[in-house]
Amino acid sequence: MRSWLRSYWLLLRWNLLRSRTDLPLLFVVQTLLGVGVVIGFAFLVPAIDRSTVLYLSTGAPTVGLITVGMVALPQMVAHHKLTGIFDYVRAMPVPRLAMLAADASVWVALTLPGLAAALGVAALRFHLSFRVSPLVVPAVLLVAATCVAVGYAIGYAARPAITGMVTQVIVVVALMFAPVSFPADRMPGWLAAAHRWLPFEYMAQAIRETVNVPPGGVPVVPFAVLAGWLAVGLAVTYRIMTRRT
Amino acid sequence: MLLDVRHLTKEYRRGVRANDDISFTLDAGQILGLFGHNGAGKTTLLNQVAGLTRPTAGSIRVDGHDPVADPAAARRVCSLQPQAQAPLDGVTPRQAIEILARIRGARRRRARDRAAELIAALDLAEWADTIGEKLSGGVRRLTAFCMAAAEPGRLVMFDEPTNDVDPVRRRLLWGQIRALADAGCAVVLVTHNVVEAERGVDRLVVLDRGRVLARGTPAQLREMHGARLRLELVVADTADADRLAADAAGTGWGAGDAVVNGRRVVVPIEAAAAAAALAWAQRERGAARIDEFAVTPTSLEDVYVSLTEEADRAFMAA
Repeated sequence: MRSWLRSYWLLLRWNLLRSRTDLPLLFVVQTLLGVGVVIGFAFLVPAIDRSTVLYLSTGAPTVGLITVGMVALPQMVAHHKLTGIFDYVRAMPVPRLAMLAADASVWVALTLPGLAAALGVAALRFHLSFRVSPLVVPAVLLVAATCVAVGYAIGYAARPAITGMVTQVIVVVALMFAPVSFPADRMPGWLAAAHRWLPFEYMAQAIRETVNVPPGGVPVVPFAVLAGWLAVGLAVTYRIMTRRT
Repeated sequence: MLLDVRHLTKEYRRGVRANDDISFTLDAGQILGLFGHNGAGKTTLLNQVAGLTRPTAGSIRVDGHDPVADPAAARRVCSLQPQAQAPLDGVTPRQAIEILARIRGARRRRARDRAAELIAALDLAEWADTIGEKLSGGVRRLTAFCMAAAEPGRLVMFDEPTNDVDPVRRRLLWGQIRALADAGCAVVLVTHNVVEAERGVDRLVVLDRGRVLARGTPAQLREMHGARLRLELVVADTADADRLAADAAGTGWGAGDAVVNGRRVVVPIEAAAAAAALAWAQRERGAARIDEFAVTPTSLEDVYVSLTEEADRAFMAA
């Protein structure tokens, strides 16, 4: 365990050093994206009621987590594959999961300010008060970890060119065609049914219903489904990381 | 014995045999040069030893560990400088070397000292604190070398470490490779620079299309060509080069095809014919058809070229 923690800590430092030039920019983009979706989407909707604001203000950070974990991250993995860094890292004498955890830590940390900013702006702009549950912390971490795990699985499993296309599709789906920033009943039935199996709706629900707890309490289903997606993402990633051709 | 490779075969999915029945051993303190054309299977061999690629058949032992059954142990025992550039964006060579030394198990103090030592030894001080994006290819390659060498495993493998490196630092690099062997590491080195390797390696293995074409010490390999010498000519007129090459080959003391390159002609000769060859060259120079000539011993590079050419011919014939 000590060697695991030591590897994790050294790899984390190594990641922070390597990305320190990009981090501030990503940080700003993330925060602006979170704030931008709240304010920008409000222009699209003529009559803003409390429910709409709640969907927008929690959907924005969810979209932020999805774009970092399931879009930016797989694209980075694809880039590392093309430049040979992927192979370089594979040859290092460190536990594979420590390597994943070190990467994931940076990415998750990157998304948190955007989340706080989106909620803050929503509260100020629309004079909204939330009934926040302490479960919001595990909810955000679970959504972030699921995004990262699935993002890795895509980046590792697919060829770089395919990764590029898949991540484009994910952006469009998450922004416009997933019940993240609006309720599922506005979608055609077949699409709503498809989202029963995809993680996006549950990600949005886990965050929305812990930021503002519904009368029935925090639901369990989104957590269970996301845990499943997390397990699948991790399993695929771990399998490919340790696979030898 | 630190590295023991036996009957190693690696076949990729589409039936491409990257390694075909390769066997060799390597002791601590020795430097093994791995030669071969692009695609000869050198990198595939290193990847199998490092536990990154699984052999189709055969066995590998690295300091008693089996990289197939226990790849994590193999990665701890061997440090590898892959052919691809190291990830240096955003980090300085000093930081990269220190962190990699620590990841390989060095304590903070030792990592710092080793980084400083290698930076000084390879004359990298000027760039030691410049971030990766601003470094030249050669400095990046040297940094990657240091990252593998700072806290070396018992086996250290370098995949083309001298590429892009200037001649002066290449010499310093060879000094550090020897220092690793002297410290008790076994070193495997892939290179295309046969001339340099001739002085730097203790043993070598020549690969061709995945098979071992030759192996031994540099002296043993040179001896394979018997007591051969080479007569080098610089002809006065390029137009004469082919005719002179044919003349030299037709005199009876030529021991193979002459190679013509512009004004330069190289004719392999038997050692016993050296006097006759010199006399012929002297006459040709007297007639002002040759500007310069010299008789030199066959180099390892000549051996390598003729070995691979023979293999090419055999392959074409088959």
